[in-house]
Amino acid sequence: MKNPDAIVIGAGVVGACSALALTNAGLKVLVIDRGPVASGTTGAGEGNILVSDKEPGAELTLAMRSRDAWFELDTDIGGGFELEAKGGIVVSRSEKGISNLKRLATLQKSSGVETIELDRNGLQKIEPYLSADVEYGVLYPKDAQCQPMLAAAQIMRAVKKRGGVFVQGENVIKVNSNHNSVTGISTDKNSYISPIVINATGTWAGEIAKMANSYLPIMPRRGFILVTSPAPKLIHHKVYDADYVANVASGQADLQSSAVVEGTASGTILIGASRERVGFNGELDVAILRQLARQAISLFPILSNVQLLRAYRGFRPYAPDHLPVIGEDALISGLWHAAGHEGAGIGLAPATGELITSQITGQSPFMDPSPFSPKRFQGSEYVAV
Amino acid sequence: MHNVVIVGAGPAGLSAAIAAAAAGAPVLLIDSNPRMGGQYWRMAADSLENQIDQHYDLETGLLLINAVKARKEIEVWSNAQIWSATHKDGVNTLRIIHQDNEKIVNTKNLIICTGAYDRTLPFPGWDTPGVMTPGAVQSLLKGHAVLAGKRIVVAGSGPFLLPVATGVLKAGGEIVELIEANKPIRWLKSFAAMLENLHKINEGYYYLKTISTGKVRPRFGYAVVRAYKADNDELDSVDIAKIDRNFNIRKIKNIKCDVAAIGWGFTADTSLAGSLGCKQIVAEDDGVVIWADDKQQTSVTGIFVAGEITGIGGSELSMAEGVIAGISAAKFVGCKVEIKKAHIKRRAKKQRFATALIRAYPIKSGWKSWLTGESIICRCEEVDLNDLKHAITELGATDSRTAKLFTRCGMGLCQGRICGRSVVDLVADNLEISPTDIDRIAAVNRPIITPIPLGVLAAGE
Repeated sequence: MKNPDAIVIGAGVVGACSALALTNAGLKVLVIDRGPVASGTTGAGEGNILVSDKEPGAELTLAMRSRDAWFELDTDIGGGFELEAKGGIVVSRSEKGISNLKRLATLQKSSGVETIELDRNGLQKIEPYLSADVEYGVLYPKDAQCQPMLAAAQIMRAVKKRGGVFVQGENVIKVNSNHNSVTGISTDKNSYISPIVINATGTWAGEIAKMANSYLPIMPRRGFILVTSPAPKLIHHKVYDADYVANVASGQADLQSSAVVEGTASGTILIGASRERVGFNGELDVAILRQLARQAISLFPILSNVQLLRAYRGFRPYAPDHLPVIGEDALISGLWHAAGHEGAGIGLAPATGELITSQITGQSPFMDPSPFSPKRFQGSEYVAV
Repeated sequence: MHNVVIVGAGPAGLSAAIAAAAAGAPVLLIDSNPRMGGQYWRMAADSLENQIDQHYDLETGLLLINAVKARKEIEVWSNAQIWSATHKDGVNTLRIIHQDNEKIVNTKNLIICTGAYDRTLPFPGWDTPGVMTPGAVQSLLKGHAVLAGKRIVVAGSGPFLLPVATGVLKAGGEIVELIEANKPIRWLKSFAAMLENLHKINEGYYYLKTISTGKVRPRFGYAVVRAYKADNDELDSVDIAKIDRNFNIRKIKNIKCDVAAIGWGFTADTSLAGSLGCKQIVAEDDGVVIWADDKQQTSVTGIFVAGEITGIGGSELSMAEGVIAGISAAKFVGCKVEIKKAHIKRRAKKQRFATALIRAYPIKSGWKSWLTGESIICRCEEVDLNDLKHAITELGATDSRTAKLFTRCGMGLCQGRICGRSVVDLVADNLEISPTDIDRIAAVNRPIITPIPLGVLAAGE
């Protein structure tokens, strides 16, 4: 494609959704990735589409729109990525945890999130294998899940069908600009000219910002997921401990983990979720696998006899304030960021694509995008050096 | 003095254990089977009774097993499964399920002799009950004295088909067909390697003689290309085809049978060595093996390898390598011992024969033409060839890893041990490229070496 209207760097789920939204708005879009579709963090995720784990605020608004956008998208492009409104259940077993969860659910409800409080009997009815000592939980019927790699691939397929172009196997080495306005990008093989460049490189978004002589404080936060052998349907929802919400929001570098357990369409059970800041260190850490197994068994004792088949890890892209970065760069005009979604990138991707597209095309956005602006890092300790 | 830890008690591991112990090193020998001997000397019981028929040289095996048992410097853990292993700062940590508990072994000195398993190729109907590997048929006979069926077709390629057919006949089974895809004329290319290993010719002659008394005439240049189900879902018959030099089908005929034992050589089991960071390379037969230097040491100091894991070569090469690995590891822990010239010479001679074997029994690319779109490729996850093609043409997979993640091909219970190698070939074929070594090595990467119950994992420290 010569002279695309916009270049999207990154063919993960956020890049794919941004490319689709821009294409649907009538732009000629070129997507570029150093590897195949979904070869970064998207390919290492569980496919969470959650409203339950967000405190009321801008991110919850984004999440609620995005959740509905996933189902619209499913219809629009013809599915094929195992989208399922399975519902999420958040539970707590400590007195303090329960009161915090109740408070959170009440606030979420007033923001329009559907919540259903459950006692032990209610929980046992819909999750018969849940440990009997769990006496309180909240069901979020809108929580959903998809197969994230297939989602990114199907969306990219739609982008191509609608006239977009996907170039893979090229490494971006420079974001070109003139008088602080983007003019295009150079890869290790080619150069491309465009007035708009969208940085959707997730965990690697800081590097792209640097190539444009700007700055973005996105860092990796490692997570492990355990995958069991296929089992009969033991777990019907995504079930997780309320500590998970606290862990997501934590800024600590050391290991945090809380049980997140769910069955998938293929019969395997996925167990998460650990969070730690160890750079891009990809070594298998058996201590973390053990901790995840202990936490999962404590929620579902029956899992004790289920076999662990594999484990994998990914690097979530996180910003210091744990909010995604969606908007135009603080220094370089025409450079837009759609990155830093941490562990919520799959869930937030379609609304991110919509938000960035309406800002680029000048249409009125469905919500105020300013909380996600990259400009929020200006004047703080994170300003470029 | 530190222990030398050896994993695997087949021909290589037993030889290594004896060599290391003889040099004065205490040895811990860890094996996943109930009895020592590996696949090659698998036995139903410790006595010789009813065993001799199923083995060509059980004497050597019993000699080695008894020597290991007699040495008090060697401790043996049988029925021990290593589920995970990691290497850090020169120390190898092995996490082992033994007697329902998890045991941790930390060692700087390790010999890995994890052997190999049958290589399979997918073909239409290969997921029918009754289609097995020759290794499975043999292990039923050797390990349980059970015949897999009444009317058995033995097919594929490689010298291993001969002892399997012989074992079936000795146990009173009927061999309906014994078919080898390659023609014996290929051996002429390796005349020198044959001449210096004449006893192997004798062994082959012994098998063929037994087989001919069973009124079986082996066919060369044929292959099983399709299997059919009976009404009860068990195997009814197979199509055997005359094939050309590139394995393309020429002529087909249907044969009734209740078991088809089909194998295409072997794939080295590199999971453990790979987890520890030992350098993996692609061998002449496109299989992934562990690289070793002339002392049998891997790219990781203190880790040695011997046997099929370094390249498929049979029991004699395994023993020759095992002795050298045992001496090297003993020397590594401070024993005063040296590798002798005779050891090196013996290994070189067996290596030349192994290379001749690989060249005599190539697997040619025409096997892919036997498949239809509906042919299952991954049996665990029931992924067919159309699914793989869809992942490439529609979803944009450009490597086998992405194709696997899109389709779940190779993500089931066996973790791609059965289909992984074929998937790399099929994906590359559909992309009209050649598989890279990186693709092949990525397909054998398994950080969880063997499944472990979550309860056992949780109970560990």
